[in-house]
Amino acid sequence: MELPMTKRFVAILCAVFLFATSNILAQDWIRTGTGLGVEKIRLAAPDFKLVTSDPQTQSLASTFNTTLWNDLQFAGIFDMVSKSFYPLSIPGAPQDVHLGDWSVPPPNANMLAFGNVGVQGGSINVQGWLYDAKNTQSPQVLGKQYSEEASNANARVIAHRFADEIIFRLGGGIAGIAETKIYYVSNRSGSKEIWQMDYDGANPKQLTHTGSIALSPHVSPDGSRVAFSGVTKEGWQIQMYSLELERLVAFPHFGGDNYSPAWSSDGQSLAFSSSRSGNTEIYSVGAAGGTPRRLTESKAPDVSPTWNPKTSAQIAWVSGRTGLPQIYTMASDGTNIVRVTDQGYAVSPSWSPNGQFLAFAWVRHYGPGEPGASDIYVMDIASKQWVQLTHDGGRNDFPSWSPDGRHIVFQSSRGGHVQIYSMLADGSEVRPLTAGGENTQPNWSFK
Amino acid sequence: MSATLVSSIPLPSPPVETQNVLANESKGLAQSQPKETPKEEPKAIAIPERETKHKGQRESRQKKPPPKEVAKLEENKIPFGQGGPVSGPYGSFTAGSTKGGLSFTGGTGDFGSRFGWYVDGVRRKVSENWLKYEIDPRIDAARRVYIYFEVTRSGQPVNIRVEQSSGIPSLDQSAMRALQRIDTFGPLPPEYAGNYVAVEFWFDYRR
Repeated sequence: MELPMTKRFVAILCAVFLFATSNILAQDWIRTGTGLGVEKIRLAAPDFKLVTSDPQTQSLASTFNTTLWNDLQFAGIFDMVSKSFYPLSIPGAPQDVHLGDWSVPPPNANMLAFGNVGVQGGSINVQGWLYDAKNTQSPQVLGKQYSEEASNANARVIAHRFADEIIFRLGGGIAGIAETKIYYVSNRSGSKEIWQMDYDGANPKQLTHTGSIALSPHVSPDGSRVAFSGVTKEGWQIQMYSLELERLVAFPHFGGDNYSPAWSSDGQSLAFSSSRSGNTEIYSVGAAGGTPRRLTESKAPDVSPTWNPKTSAQIAWVSGRTGLPQIYTMASDGTNIVRVTDQGYAVSPSWSPNGQFLAFAWVRHYGPGEPGASDIYVMDIASKQWVQLTHDGGRNDFPSWSPDGRHIVFQSSRGGHVQIYSMLADGSEVRPLTAGGENTQPNWSFK
Repeated sequence: MSATLVSSIPLPSPPVETQNVLANESKGLAQSQPKETPKEEPKAIAIPERETKHKGQRESRQKKPPPKEVAKLEENKIPFGQGGPVSGPYGSFTAGSTKGGLSFTGGTGDFGSRFGWYVDGVRRKVSENWLKYEIDPRIDAARRVYIYFEVTRSGQPVNIRVEQSSGIPSLDQSAMRALQRIDTFGPLPPEYAGNYVAVEFWFDYRR
């Protein structure tokens, strides 16, 4: 059938228009599906190749390799391919790589991290690559080069950075935690003071020298200050340690005893428990001081506040208003109180960075004839479903989430003395971080 | 309060064996078995062939050996041992009773083939954030729901919408929320020139 002239013209115009817009809107599409279970990425990380013969190279390279391997293994998103499965020739640069050797069994790796280490003129140089082993067309995901003064500490730092880069790329945009710190209380110097260590327990360093008792450290979101409660002439007070000035800085003293400060994730406010009105209640105060604002109102003690880091609009805390301590949540102005735990003895809440979970210590069956153990639990706040993370290992208490929401640090008496351990947030990969003295009340930094 | 385990801790679950014909460790689907040779019955005596008339040497010269039989394979089957490694993380998956799939279509589209690791990350993150308990417990199985969204250069999911409903509001909602819960997938690869990537994600639900 012949179209009339005008209609035909319109049709052609439409076709031209469609063609043009389809080019303008040409945009990449991904179609993808779920319900598949969460599988881990198989990552192969052969030792980095030595490229110089400097006598220092060997020891620095081995520090680097160990640190990198541990960081990746503890990231929680990788299934590290055992080194015994690796091909005999280990690549040190892209031109040495034969992806075919890595992408098939026995290594059967999805990803390959490799590179080289050299020491030249007193500086350590590292080149590292991350390759998608199953993508022969354009395998490179990441290529990085680092140069620092040659020292063991710097070899660790470079390994941490490279590990964090890999985790950031493959872990869905969540920054790695290899360069985060943990703040805790230790009595190894005689009195209970605030200490700091790397996330893997290395480089412990004493911060405060109060000579009395310092407890419950909580680092600010920007990592510049640590709030803690310490014994002063006016009883227990919130004190502030500046990590930049490396000394105590002024923070107002309030009446009564004041404990367990907690930063909101915007760094604007501190919540703490105080007996300034006679009974222990939760208060919040601006980060610079000011007048505390009372949030709770009950005859029973209200302690251990923790903010919802996702919103800074909610606080979870422990209250004894129904008898044994239980965990509650409320809005940050004290309204909308919801009881979270329903039985036993629940203390030390810590809110996960994505706002979804509460980690806490719980003796689920508490009382005479109820042999209960204090274990770490994680609860999904919306559904009140929970999962037990520690089992049969002494008293476990004071969980604290890592900033990536994949790890939890906690204290445990499983080894006799109270020490600090870290684990993945599903309870696996438990690692001791401290030894010597008693180390308690860990707090993981925000970044 | 129920004492069920939380299934959605965003962390390792037991490794899922993929049944994917392309992405699993087996070398192929169609296992070519050695051809059976017909056994001769031991007591059978061959019937002597009738003697044919010789028509001279010419004819016998022209006789050709019968052409060798070539095994015919269906086009989509991979012979055993010839599958080789997978070239990208795409294909279809089945895990338990749940099905999912990845496919990639593109305008200029080489995103999927170049940045397979990113696509994989998106899939992993969405499935981590899909909380099945939000779905009406009376539902056993549902039609597939398609969700459309775009990933900006900084990795944020934007313009999230239901493209095709499953017909069950709570399932649609839970799928939407899975996306809304995600802050970022991580920045798009710096080598990628586009401003955003459009993603179509489908959710299959089986209890």
